[in-house]
Amino acid sequence: MSGRNNKSKSGVDTSRRGFLTAGLAGGAALAATGMARANGDPLITEIQDWNRYLGDGVDAAPYGMPSEFEAHVVRRDVPWLTADPVSSVNFTPLHELDGIITPNGLCFERHHGGVAEIDPADHRLMIHGLVERPLVFTMQDLMRFPRENRIYFLECAANSGMEWRGSQLNGCQFTHGMVHCVVYTGVPLKYLLDEAGVKTSGKWLLAEGADAAAMTRSIPIEKALEDCLVAFKMNGEALRPEQGYPVRLVVPGWEGNMWIKWLRRLEVGDEPWGQREETSKYTDLLANGQARRHTWAMEVKSVITSPSPQAPIAHGPGRTVITGLAWSGNGRIDRVDVSLDGGRNWRPARIDGPSISKALHRFYLDIDWDGSEMLLQSRAMDETGMIQPMKDELRAARGENSIYHNNGIQTWHVNGDGVAENVEVS
Amino acid sequence: MSKFLKAGVVVAAVVGSAVIADIAESAEIAEGEKVFRKCAACHTVGEDAKSRVGPHLNDLFGRTAGTVDGFKYSAAMVAAGEGGLAWDEQSLTQFLVKPREVVSGTKMAFAGLRKSVDVANVLAYLKTFDADMAATVATDEAPEEASAAAETEETPAQPAELPSADHDGPMKLGRLATEDEIAAWDIDIRPDGLGLPPGRGTVAQGEPIYTDNCAVCHGDFGEGIGRWPVLAGGQDTLTNERPIKTVGSYWPYLSTVYDYIRRAMPFGNARSLTDDEVYALTAYVLYLNDIVDDEEFELSPDNFTEIGMPNEDNFIPDTRPAEEHYAEKTEPCMSDCKPGPVKITMRAQVLDVTPDGDEEGGGAID
Repeated sequence: MSGRNNKSKSGVDTSRRGFLTAGLAGGAALAATGMARANGDPLITEIQDWNRYLGDGVDAAPYGMPSEFEAHVVRRDVPWLTADPVSSVNFTPLHELDGIITPNGLCFERHHGGVAEIDPADHRLMIHGLVERPLVFTMQDLMRFPRENRIYFLECAANSGMEWRGSQLNGCQFTHGMVHCVVYTGVPLKYLLDEAGVKTSGKWLLAEGADAAAMTRSIPIEKALEDCLVAFKMNGEALRPEQGYPVRLVVPGWEGNMWIKWLRRLEVGDEPWGQREETSKYTDLLANGQARRHTWAMEVKSVITSPSPQAPIAHGPGRTVITGLAWSGNGRIDRVDVSLDGGRNWRPARIDGPSISKALHRFYLDIDWDGSEMLLQSRAMDETGMIQPMKDELRAARGENSIYHNNGIQTWHVNGDGVAENVEVS
Repeated sequence: MSKFLKAGVVVAAVVGSAVIADIAESAEIAEGEKVFRKCAACHTVGEDAKSRVGPHLNDLFGRTAGTVDGFKYSAAMVAAGEGGLAWDEQSLTQFLVKPREVVSGTKMAFAGLRKSVDVANVLAYLKTFDADMAATVATDEAPEEASAAAETEETPAQPAELPSADHDGPMKLGRLATEDEIAAWDIDIRPDGLGLPPGRGTVAQGEPIYTDNCAVCHGDFGEGIGRWPVLAGGQDTLTNERPIKTVGSYWPYLSTVYDYIRRAMPFGNARSLTDDEVYALTAYVLYLNDIVDDEEFELSPDNFTEIGMPNEDNFIPDTRPAEEHYAEKTEPCMSDCKPGPVKITMRAQVLDVTPDGDEEGGGAID
């Protein structure tokens, strides 16, 4: 699989390593022939095709796609995780991205009955239950409410869930790739609820999707009125089908399963509904056999995205950039510390780019690498004072069968060749 | 380049329109085969076709409605056949667009094909399994008439005649939902029984429904095939190294079983079961979990909330913020935080389950 993903359409190995190796080999071959050549990099001393011949015109790509040399930057899945790809997950390639915004086509997917295909003209959103006026909205109706733009991360509660028992998957795409962060455009849910008139007895909201899983979650009315959005755009364009086109719920800082996609129904009630996804699933089994439920908030978390197993240090000792992501469902990230020695000693990293509540934060640590082995860790702290725990602290408190809400500190071992591996440390 | 290619195709079309007609027809059949995937959860065609959730569809054209031997139709479908309904292009087109309008009471839960072209294509595909019709496919022009019929039929279904701004909400947007609309979508059931529809079903009635619709993934005894969910057993495993979370061992409420089967099962053919069938299946899942032991046990709204689930009391609120590592909230350690050099205790490469081949790993995401 990685072979396929590392090849461009022409079959050329376009991974970072392959690219370097090919360049070196080309140089060596030229040197060996002993032909009269200008002294220097032939990519500079010789005229290249792209410098001579015309490229595509403006009519070649009405909807633009990434360069063919980026063909390996794709979502990937783990086939053995689930029974069927129709009810499964794929992962954002965090190791290839930078900044804080995830491109729409790379946002991880999780759905339980495949991607529903809905013509927006056929979509309806109903609000009923404990309201003064049960209402039906068309997409056109929704677009007439005042809109807001907000940047939020969305993390699946099961992100890093395969790592509870120890290091398993070798790549931050797989260990941490069930997270993305985009700009949503949508209508505050409060406006829709006000339009229907929530009765004072209304304490809970049931949100339901129109897909073949008819996904449902109960949400307390305070959260619904506080900051939830009914969103129809992501990063400026329509939601992607796999993200709930034409309309989804945005539940900032809370687990992704609650962000109902293909949103078609909101029922107001006075108690939670005990739906499958809040009883049988998305409850956290503890070592003593009890299980926590309604564990909605995503806790403070971070991960180094490069270097990481899929993004080794390819240039040898010297200046290098350590970078990663941090986020918290509680608000802003105040600080990220990075350790090169497995958590014995820490130094603050530099957060760059906007620091937005409940959004991804990008951090950097720029170092001179001496070529010795490193045990890289990052540790985030949020504005409420929550500090990202060590994995063993989480295991001591919860056991190893929680599946959900694993926000423990990740360790990458980087050897002298710059190769990185997912490890656990003492 | 592409401009020249297109021109080439146009020339070929003019020269060989007969060829094009053949191509178009086979394209129609191929598209129809794709559309048929929506039907294939319940219907089969071809040599080994048998009636399953729905009747087989071989030699459909000319068949009187409700007459395949051995298939248990709704009373409404049998009555429609007795009243003279036979399947031809026109009746099938009307039926496939709005099944429940043509035969009110049909147990076919499929909502209908929205696009006329899908109807035409799927009929072209079905004709290839009809001994009488197969020969006529090439010259048949009925699909066009049929699509016209489908379109005229769709027109009155638009809610345009419903009033808009018919309420005094602050922004006067949207319209009032009708009682029928709310009833059609409000299918959730709460642990206290709120939302349970009228109906009933026994363990014994549930068994054949389970065998036909559920066992293919969940196994004959709810043991789960492959990685499909295990439904039964697992009692007393929640503190094990590998707990088995089933309806009996883990689920806190019976209402969730009814609600979930009704909204999302069978996988790929949701909303196809009647309320009575869901009662029977729910009773059967209780039986598989030894929560009831009488095959004649009948589940209905009368006794539903009396059934307690064994694990209900083991669910607790979110106590994460009180965990030791959070509660302290002190300034984190910055130097000499661990005694002596840190050692590696586990490596992902040893397990080697990162996707790259045919690995089988552990863990789960849901």
